[in-house]
Parts: sequence; C-alpha cells; structure tokens
Amino acid sequence: MKLNLLDRLDKLQAPLNVLVAVLIGFIIGTGLMLVEGHNIGEAYTALFNGAFSGRFNFGGTLERFVPLLLSGLAFAISSKASVFNVGVEGQLYFGAMAAAYFGYTIVGLPSFLHITLVLLLAGLAGALWALIPGFLRAAYRVNEVCTTIMLNYVAIYFTSYIVNHLFKNPHIGVPQTPNIQESARLARILMPSRANIGVYIALGIVLFFIWLMDYTTLGYKIKTVGLNPQFATYAGFQARSIMVGAMVLSGFIGGITGAIQVLGIHGYFLDNFSKSLGFDGIMVALLARNNLKVLPFVAFFLAALKSGAVGMERFTGIPRELIGIMEAVIILFAAAEAIIVIRRRLSYQKGGAEVV
Amino acid sequence: MFRFSDVLTLTLVRATIRMSTPILLAALGVIVTELAAITNVGIEGIMLVSAFMAVAASYWSGSWIVGILAAVAAGVLIAALMALIHLRFKANVLVAGIAVNMFSLAFTRFLLVNWFGVAGSFYSPRISPIPRINLSILAAHPVLDTLFNNYNLMDYLGIVLVFVFHFLIYKTVWGLRLRFTGVHPLAVETAGVNVTVKKLQALLISGVLGGLAGAHLSLGYTTQFIENMTNGRGFIGVAAMYFGGISPITTWLASLFFGFTEGVGARLQNLGFPSQFMLMLPYVATVVAITFSMIRQQRRETDKQPF
Amino acid sequence: MEPIVKMTGIVKQFPNVLALKGVDFSVEKGEVHSLVGENGAGKSTLMNILYGVLQPDLGEIYVRGQKQVIHSVRDAMHLGIGMVHQEFMLAPSMTVVENIILGFEPNRRSVVDYDAAAEKIRALSEEYGLAIRPESRIIDNSVGEAQRVEIIKALYRGAEVLILDEPTAVLTPQETEDLFKVIRSLKEHGKTVIFISHKLQEVLAISDRITVMRDGRVQGTLLASEATKEKIATLMVGREVFLNIKAPEGKRGGVVLDVQGVSARGRRRLSDLKNVSFQVHAGEILGIAGVDGNGQSELVEVLTGLRRVDQGDIFVSGTKITNLPPGEIRERGVSHIPEDRNRSGLCAELTVAENLVATKLKRPPLSKNGVIRGQAVRELASRLVEEYDIRPGDYRIPTRNLSGGNRQKVVVAREVSEDAQLLIAAHPTRGVDIGSIEFIRSILIAQREEGKAILLVSADLEEVLSLSDRIAVMYEGRIVGILPASEANEQVLGLMMAGGEYAKAQGEEEKVVEA
Repeated sequence: MKLNLLDRLDKLQAPLNVLVAVLIGFIIGTGLMLVEGHNIGEAYTALFNGAFSGRFNFGGTLERFVPLLLSGLAFAISSKASVFNVGVEGQLYFGAMAAAYFGYTIVGLPSFLHITLVLLLAGLAGALWALIPGFLRAAYRVNEVCTTIMLNYVAIYFTSYIVNHLFKNPHIGVPQTPNIQESARLARILMPSRANIGVYIALGIVLFFIWLMDYTTLGYKIKTVGLNPQFATYAGFQARSIMVGAMVLSGFIGGITGAIQVLGIHGYFLDNFSKSLGFDGIMVALLARNNLKVLPFVAFFLAALKSGAVGMERFTGIPRELIGIMEAVIILFAAAEAIIVIRRRLSYQKGGAEVV
Repeated sequence: MFRFSDVLTLTLVRATIRMSTPILLAALGVIVTELAAITNVGIEGIMLVSAFMAVAASYWSGSWIVGILAAVAAGVLIAALMALIHLRFKANVLVAGIAVNMFSLAFTRFLLVNWFGVAGSFYSPRISPIPRINLSILAAHPVLDTLFNNYNLMDYLGIVLVFVFHFLIYKTVWGLRLRFTGVHPLAVETAGVNVTVKKLQALLISGVLGGLAGAHLSLGYTTQFIENMTNGRGFIGVAAMYFGGISPITTWLASLFFGFTEGVGARLQNLGFPSQFMLMLPYVATVVAITFSMIRQQRRETDKQPF
Repeated sequence: MEPIVKMTGIVKQFPNVLALKGVDFSVEKGEVHSLVGENGAGKSTLMNILYGVLQPDLGEIYVRGQKQVIHSVRDAMHLGIGMVHQEFMLAPSMTVVENIILGFEPNRRSVVDYDAAAEKIRALSEEYGLAIRPESRIIDNSVGEAQRVEIIKALYRGAEVLILDEPTAVLTPQETEDLFKVIRSLKEHGKTVIFISHKLQEVLAISDRITVMRDGRVQGTLLASEATKEKIATLMVGREVFLNIKAPEGKRGGVVLDVQGVSARGRRRLSDLKNVSFQVHAGEILGIAGVDGNGQSELVEVLTGLRRVDQGDIFVSGTKITNLPPGEIRERGVSHIPEDRNRSGLCAELTVAENLVATKLKRPPLSKNGVIRGQAVRELASRLVEEYDIRPGDYRIPTRNLSGGNRQKVVVAREVSEDAQLLIAAHPTRGVDIGSIEFIRSILIAQREEGKAILLVSADLEEVLSLSDRIAVMYEGRIVGILPASEANEQVLGLMMAGGEYAKAQGEEEKVVEA
C-alpha cells in the first residue's frame, strides 16, 4: 500500500504541533521584548552569542545540556510505559548524595573504575527511591504524579538533613559535603567553562537506551505496556512489573543525572543545589514527544536558550526570566495533542464488503 | 527530652486550623474538578499566580479586597488556560497540570523581576493584608478566645465554603449533574447536558478557589510573595481531596490532618528536632494518606457486584 | 390507524459495513412489537437511529404521521421515544432517584426537589407495577431492579414508545416473568413497546407482531398469533450461501484440554461460570455455541489466565494450568485468538512485524539474552505475511493501517504459528470480509488435520456447524449439552441456546450431557 497524502500528513501532526508550540513561545517572547521596549535584533544576537560564541559560552550551553538530556531521558523512559515520573528531581538528589558520599569515601581506585562505580551506585540510589512510587502505582493504582511530587520534597529535605547533620564539610559554613576524590572527578572540557566529559557519558547513556528500547525484549515490553496494557497482558507480559521496571530505570537515570552534576560540576553535594533540573527534563521529553532520538536536539535547543538568556541579560538588560516565560509557553502548548488536527480518524480502512 | 504537653497545646489547635486553610481551599477546588473527572494538579500553579497577583494588587491599590479580587481573576484565567490545553487541545490532564505549574512558576518569576525589580521574594509595608476577625462574643472566654477567635477572614471563609460546596454538590441541580459528569458522562450527554461545558465550569470554579487559596497564602497567612511559595500545598490539596473521599466535609477533616502535621512539625522544630524531618512530615503524611485511600477504594470496588 | 412510528428506506453505512440496506419498519400505537434477528442483523442499529444515537444515511422517519429528523437522544425524548440499552446508562454509585431525574430534575430555584421527584417516581412505579427502591444506590440493586429503574427513567422522561434492547439477555427466568408483567401493564396503559430479542419462545409469548431482520434487511413481519418458532427461525437464518468447507472427520487423538468443574465469577451474574466440564481432543474442533453473554467470554478468559478460577481445574495435556499467569499458560502450549482483537489481540500503534512476533520474542531464534535479533524477526515476519496473505505485504507499517480482515489475519498468523497443542479461537471471523472468513476457516481446518486441538467459540451458528466436530452449547454460564456435529442443526442448537429443552424432546438424551 502506498502511503497516501493524508497518511503522510497524519505522521506530521505531532512534530507540527511541537513546531507551533515553539513558534507561539517565540512570538510571545518577542512580543514581551517589544512591549518592554528592547531592540529585537540586539536581543537575539546577544541570545545567540550567549549560547555559542567562545569556549566559555558554548561550554555553558553544554554544561546545561547534560542534565536536561538525562532528566528528559528519565521522564521519557517512564512515559513509554505510561507512567509519569515527575520525581526525577528527588531521584537526582539521592543520586547526587550517593555520588558525593562514594566519591569521597572510596579511595585508591583508578579514575575510570571509580567514576563507573560511583555512577552505578548513584543510579541505584535513584532507582530505589523511584521504586516507592512505582510499586504504589502498580500495586494500588496510587497516582504516581502525586506521590513523586511529594517524594521530591521528602528527598530534598532528607538530603538536606544529611548534608547539614551527618556528612558536612566542617571547614565551610555553607551546608555542603567534603570534596570528592580527584579520581572521581569528570575531566573538564572547554575550559574555563564547567563543561566536562559528562557530555559524552550522557550521550552514551542515551544511545544505550535507544538501543534498549529498539533492540531488546525489555524495550519491546515497556513500549507495549505503555501503548496497550491489555494486549501486553494477553501476550503474556507482566504489565505491572514492567511498569515498576520502567519507573526504576527512570529513577536510575535520574540518579546518574545528579551524580554527573556532583562529579563534573560541583565536586561536592550542596544543599538544595538542583533548583528544578529534574523538572526541566519533563519539558525536554514533552517537546521530543518521548522520542529518544529527538531528545538530544531538544535538550541542546533548550540548553542554548538557557545559556543564551544569561548572556542576553548581561548585554541587553533583558531579564533571563523572559526566556523562562518563553520556555513555559512552549511547554504549555507542547503538552497539547491537538492544536492542529490534520484529520479525524473516521474509519480504520477502506476494504471490500464486509459482513458482521 | 520533650514532653507531649509542650507540643499539644491550645495554640497547636490554632496552628492546625491556620495551616489547613490554604490546603482546604485548594482541596475544595480539586473536589469540584475531580467530580467532573479532571484530576487538577494544575491547582498548584493557579495558587501561585493568584498569590502573586494578590500581593501586586494589594500593593498598588492598598486594598486587600482588590487583592483578593485580582487573585480570583488570575486563578480563573490560569484555570481557563488549563481548560484550553486539556479540553480543547486534548492534552493529557496530568501533563496539562504539570505544564500549567511550570508556566506559573516562570510567569511569577518574570513578573517579580519585571514589576518589582526583585528576584526571590517581594515584601512591602504597603501591602494591605487580609484582616483578622475579632468576634467579641468569644473574646470574653479565655479558652474559646484562644481556640476560635481572631482568625484570619480567610480561615473563617474556608469553613463557610465547606458547607457552601457541600450544599452545591449534594443539593442542587448543578451539583447532581456535576457528580454524574465524572462517573457516567454518557448518561449526562443523553440527558441533554453538555459534558464539556460541565468540565469547563468545574475548572473555572477551581480557579476561583485556587485564587482564594493563593490570596490567603500571600495576604493572610503571610504578607509577602516568595518565589514558589505554594511549595506543594496545591498537591497536598489534591491528596486531601482523595483522602477525604472527594467530599467537602470529610476533605475538611483531611485538610485539618495535614494542617496538624505541619503544626506539629513546626512545634517539634522549636523543641530542637532537626527541621528537615519536620518539614517533610506533611509530604510523607500525604503519600501515606493517598495510598490508604486508594487501598480503601479498591476494597470497595472488589466488593461490588457488577452486572 | 396511522402507525405511531414508521421508518422507510433506512440505510446506514458504517466504516467497514453496510449495516442497514434499506429498511422499512412500522409500529402501531399500543402494540408490543418484537424485532428479532441474529447478531449483526441490524436490529440495534435500526433502534439506535430511532432513538437519535445514530443518524441514517438515507431514509425517513415518521412519528405519529409527522416526518421527523431525530438529531439527538433529546429529540427522541421530545417525540416520546425512550430506550433501555443492554448496557444500562446508570451510574452505580448514585441513587435510583438521582439516576432517574438526571437532566430533568424537579427543582425550586435550582435546588433539587427530591420530595417531588420521589413522589413522581413512586406514582410511576405503582402505576406500572415496577417495584424499585428509590433511595438505594444502583450498586446495591440486582440487574432486574436496575432494568426497572431504566424503564422508569424512560417513562419519567415521557416515553410513549419504549424500546427494550435484548432486555431478557441479562435476566433470570423469574425476572423475565416480572418484566413481561410490566410490559403487559405498559400495553394496558396505551404505551407502545419495541422488544428486541433472539429468544423465540419469549418473542412468541409477549408480542403482538414480530419483525424479522437478517443481514441489514427486513425479512418479514408476522402476527404473533400466526407465527411459529420454525417460521421465525427460517426467516432469521435464511438460505444463504454456506461457507461450508467442512473436511472429512479428522482423526481424533488423546485429550488435550480437560476442564473439570470450573466455576468463576463473570462480568454479569448470568455469565458466571457454573461447574463447567468438557474435553477437547487432539485433531478435533469443539465448537462452543451460545447467545453472547452466556459465559463464553469468561470461559476463554479462564482458559487463558485472564480471569481467576474460583473452583475446579484445567489441564492441558495433563499439566495443570489453573490460575497460572497468561504467559505461563502460553508456554504450556495454549494459543489464543481473542474475541476483541483491536484491544487485546493487537497493538494498533506497533508495526505488523512487531505484532506478529509479540508472543515469540522472548525465545530463540528471535532473541538471545534479551536482545532482539532483527534479522530473525524480519525473516519470520515476511514469511508469515506471505503465508497468511496479509495485505498490504509490508510488515513495517502499523497494524492500525490494515483492514479488519487483515488485522485478524495478523492475529491468526501469530497464534497459529505458535504451533501450540491447543488453539482457542474466539469469534475468529466476526466483522471480517468474506475472503478472509474463508481463509481463516480453512486454516482452522488445516490445524485440525495437523492434529491440533481447537476450541472454537462463535455466536455464528453456521460457522459452528460447518467447522466443528462436536458442539457444546452454553446457556447462563453452564454447558447445557454437547452433541456431535452430525446430529446438530440450527433448529436444535437455537433451541438449546435458549435453554436446552429441545434436545431432550428429540430423544437425544444419551448424547446430550445435561449440566
């Protein structure tokens, strides 16, 4: 069968909607700049330069790219199984704390091993934290959006307790943990920015999950449970366990996201350090429509926007919060399934005469 | 060591009631939407924008009444935005709620910088707060006075609204149709009532209640606006709604429970307990509470005889 | 006298089916008029058009002699037409009163006047002898009570013409008797009743006139006084071309499926499985006939692990599979063509290939250590697409883009290629085009020849008759009898499906095991 025009357009519907969302975001952002009396040309030039010109600025973009990409991946993976993990933020905190702890306490390992081990342990911390809402959802149908959001607060306060009372760097007034060992540090790239080889790790993880989703039976099961749990059960998959599994995988990635921030950027765990890194991932996943291959592009686009906003603020005085509005408008409309409806699916098919 | 008597004082009752009010108002809002089959996690964002608008309007007009009106208007607008995304553009209701919350956070952040030139928080003596109400009948009796007098107007309003919504939901034509919208939309459609309109109404009403909740946070409970000051209270409202069985009076009790955990937390903190554990108390309580209400609901479902 | 309802030349096209092919139908005021026909004959479609749920593509509707266009249920109500669907439009958590008055609440300044409502409902209930409990919640009502609530709801809304869609399908004999009293009382009060059914006994007992439909057309209208079961059955079944591809009797082997005294809770009380026992042998097709909703779906679910067995045991080739999860039952040699292929049998968003391999993916050669071997998947998919003539022949497109028949072929291909000892096929040709029907039936026969045990559930008598070696008839969750296909015909089965007395009367006792 040839795909006819309508079928082709039908395929385009999702990307078109996202495009419209981005467009609306830029229109509103630009409108706000105009209302505030800024020069549009200058503003966008500053935005562009802030994101791309020079090692420092480009490094700043890459630095923001990593958590966006990974938390986006985390949210996307759980969404594949129709579970919304809004708790990446909390999982990220636990991962970061685990990374700070094992990065400091484990001594004498070669760097490669140390980093790998710390990343795995951090992932495990995030995964265990995600197991709670995953289990509650599968066993009792407890709304995971509510529980993950609540558990985010618990995670933030819990790690805050640890860094304030149990594992604090005694030489510094700020609540932060002792510096991790050199062997656990992720090497910097593009000095003097804080970008580091976490970029490669993140891209590697995304590649791994693309492979997992497309080429393994587990990926197939996750996808099937998300699309049609009834079919999955009929075909003999344990739908509930798979949901929990997707949540745990998502939490694992969340934990690694936090770890890379600690190992690559800060070198220690700082109380309340994330400020919604985990939430930004939702935006990335939504814009990419959970398509793993599109995630890096979306994450890069948003990272550039965020990084550029800082430059724009510095050179033109336009507050970076304006870019925040732009992002927010984009995500608002990106959530919509049907701004543009290309066709309504009336029938499944035109076939010959059929009897009932 | 601490003694329970230090914690369980008359003032704890006050704290419980005061801290339950924003949760209660939010919960009433999400009861209305939940009855129409919309789990409105966007209430958090509605409250946040309303809290900001309340402060801004009160600051400029010098009138807390204008502050409340602005908050309600803002709440309705954000709820309308949610309706646009969910009802018109068919976004998943949870995703729409999350998106509205992210938007609200960015929006208030922007306005804070743009209108007041500050980041993080805004306070000014020119902000006119919502007054406390002194009922002279109660003032004479010391215990009653401590327990029930001198609350903020909104604390009283919250309690009044519990009964108002109980009446609206269970006694009126509007409420009957609303309750059917959630459980049997097809029956509602065939009775000639437009389901989408009912859902829109429900969302807008949750905007009004979220608006009141937000105004209370920034003009009653405190007199300032702080970035992300709702701090999950909208979500706790959603939890209170589930815990209270999606019905106003029992949800009020659930809100008091959450207010109580917050109150106890604050009290224990004063006694030297690590603040973090106390701060997380309401959130832990929420997770436990939703889980219990879901287990209860499932029991009920397996008991019934389907035909 | 002018008919109260007259429908002329009604044509209705659904995406895949021409459901009504020019139907003329008229009902006199004050009569009980039955509409009978097999599943899919178009009875419900016709009535949904009268009730404003569906719009006809062609044709006209006259109510009390006036030409009407009925856009919505509300329009129908204004014309005094009410309908009680098979699936009740009642909210279980709400009270009887609330369900009845919804949309038409007596009120004082928008406050519901429950006293006035209760008064009006009580009056209706007494007038027509409809016993209900106004304050109770629907969940706490029996099916019969809920049905009476639906009837009162229609009357409350001012129905003069009441359509009852298979009202007895969910009732016990006692409840049916009560319903008939109500119908007679309605008739005495000058109401008109349209009674949809395929239980001939009941139709003859309650009707004034009977209209028989088949395949989207009216076959004739009879006076009940002049009708007999045989006359109606002949009109219902017709003398169509039989897709009869029956092969000579297969060689029957050992027992593959052994069901011993299985009981399970059903979707409705009438479809609870009650002490069901039977065996299916290798090289045999056992057909399960019955009116929909008599426990067939539950039986299949129980056998495939999708529903809990409360009592009794199930063995496949001697291995107990009672209450194992679906995946493990599959591993023990059971494959399953499900009743609802679009929801259970397929994942519409996944490609043809992905759907074809779903149940085989975790085994070699399709995967190794959890990693899918793309080459093997593609080879298998293209082989199955060719072997089962799935069109279009591209396994990379989503199954959503396939026709109903081809989607069913995907399911059949997957399940048959499992090479399981037992194949359970639930309504394998329902809603499928004629070409695919023949193809699917020939595959089932071929499987039998290969020595597989096949359990065929179908509401299509002709299919059951032409494919099965033995036929079991289900009624109200029981197997009322099992007989060799050679001794079965549509009359015998039809009567067994309605309760099972006929077989005895024919002197078949020794071959019919009464449950």
